[in-house]
Amino acid sequence: MTAALQILGLFKQFGPLQVLKDFCLEVQSGEVVGLLGPNGCGKSTVLNLVAQVLKADAGQIALMGEPLDQLGSTSRFRVGLCSQDCALYPDLLPAENLDFFARLYGISKFQRQARVEELMNLFGLVPYASTRVGRLSGGWQQRLHLAVSLVHRPELLILDEPTACVDVAARQDLWRLIETLRAGGTAILLTTHQLDEAERLCNRIAIMKGGRIIAQGSVSQLLTKVKGETIVKVKSRDHDVTLARAQSLGWRVSQSAEPLNFLLEHALSLREVVVALDGPEVISVSVQGVSLEDAYLELLGEGAL
Amino acid sequence: MSYKFLSMFLEQSQAVAHRLLLEQWRQGRGLIFWAVFPMAMMVLFGLVYAHNDHMRAGLDAAAAGILVGAALFFSCLGGTVAILAAERERRTLRRLLTTPLHPAAYFVGVVLAQLQLALLQVVSLYAIAGFIGARYHGSVWLGGFVLLLSVFAYVGMGFFLGVRFAKKSEEVVVALSAIGVPLLVLGGTFFPLEIMPTAMQWVAQIDPMLHMNQAFKGVAAYGLGVAELQGELIFLILFCALSMVLGVKSYRHLLFMEQQE
Repeated sequence: MTAALQILGLFKQFGPLQVLKDFCLEVQSGEVVGLLGPNGCGKSTVLNLVAQVLKADAGQIALMGEPLDQLGSTSRFRVGLCSQDCALYPDLLPAENLDFFARLYGISKFQRQARVEELMNLFGLVPYASTRVGRLSGGWQQRLHLAVSLVHRPELLILDEPTACVDVAARQDLWRLIETLRAGGTAILLTTHQLDEAERLCNRIAIMKGGRIIAQGSVSQLLTKVKGETIVKVKSRDHDVTLARAQSLGWRVSQSAEPLNFLLEHALSLREVVVALDGPEVISVSVQGVSLEDAYLELLGEGAL
Repeated sequence: MSYKFLSMFLEQSQAVAHRLLLEQWRQGRGLIFWAVFPMAMMVLFGLVYAHNDHMRAGLDAAAAGILVGAALFFSCLGGTVAILAAERERRTLRRLLTTPLHPAAYFVGVVLAQLQLALLQVVSLYAIAGFIGARYHGSVWLGGFVLLLSVFAYVGMGFFLGVRFAKKSEEVVVALSAIGVPLLVLGGTFFPLEIMPTAMQWVAQIDPMLHMNQAFKGVAAYGLGVAELQGELIFLILFCALSMVLGVKSYRHLLFMEQQE
């Protein structure tokens, strides 16, 4: 099957800074792929290159098997970008914003009216039809922002931290909308710093570091890349003593700041951990299975696997 | 140029124009203020001219001067600078970058919006001017053509100034005052060209505002025709072509800067 998006050997440099180095990724139709990584690792650069906001120094991007270079500006009809900034016209009504962007794509008046109505309903914007966008809350603006990205029915949707500035309820609503789009066959590439968001929405997660992908796969596949089963979190009055005791037990330190995190290769019960660490300096101990956050930190700390 | 491209281009231009006018209307009744401004200017000038008998003869030229040198200057040039600053501040420029909007269609869209605004100003200003006693003498079509060229030229200059000197809304007035107003002075809005020093007169010849003023005053106040205004018209037509290129290039430059941020 032809991938909705295929990126091969992408390089991008800003001045002396090499932002992307041999970056490769594929996204299939009906799949959500999450790009995770620390600030400055090149996530937004990848999105901007795919949306043709930027040009790559080397490498190839293909949409549905057709290279972006050959598609030229027509690729803009096939890609929708929802950036971090809520870039809307605050003095216009929601439907007027949608209509304006639909006109830029040359959609006929009849089709435009139907599409605007459809998106107003899908995104629950009808009750705010007569409210200027500038007076909508952040969550509703973000919904409209996403709706605008979909006005031309793109095959590939790019979401740059789509829920970064919205409250919990709006976040849940946006997640449901993204899931609806995925179910409808839209290929989605998203970046986020929220691991619960990635876990909920993404079929696959790609973790970036230093301009390239260091690991990718489903959540369960990423968890297997962590060499351990149990995370022990310890609050201690004396870190040095606790660290020395844990290391003498063969536990690996995965976080040396408060709370101390230790990665154990085998499962241990809370009782066994408490007995092993017993000492007056220990304030509290908790034991949990390895999470995506642990895998993420572990992978970033270890570098390429 | 294919029919599909042309119809898309026109649709995009109209979309931009429609959006700008809607925003103008919603932003503190912008359209009304743009109409009131030349009317207020005309009333004030009219009172001064009526008070001094020896100046009455200049009333017709004053009406034309207010329209080109004040009303269109602020709405078309200042307005264009403000439009670009707002697109930058709201980050909508970046969004436009991801759409198939052609840079020239954006430019033409701004021209279309400013033309409609200019029409509103012409009607309101000449309504007051007529009431005060000023008269329009020449061909309406030729006057309209000169105003069309003037709007085009102002918008092109607005793109150039806006891209280079006004990144934020607060900088719009500064850019307009520092660069636009000196051009107005050189353009003969405040003093006739004849009383300027020779060097200034030479420099003024490359100021499009001089040719806009002379051409429109020529038609509106003195009833001159195409033959008499040939020099001004040729300059303005050439400047419009340059303006379009300048505007589109400036817009492309703006998009490029937006990409680098």
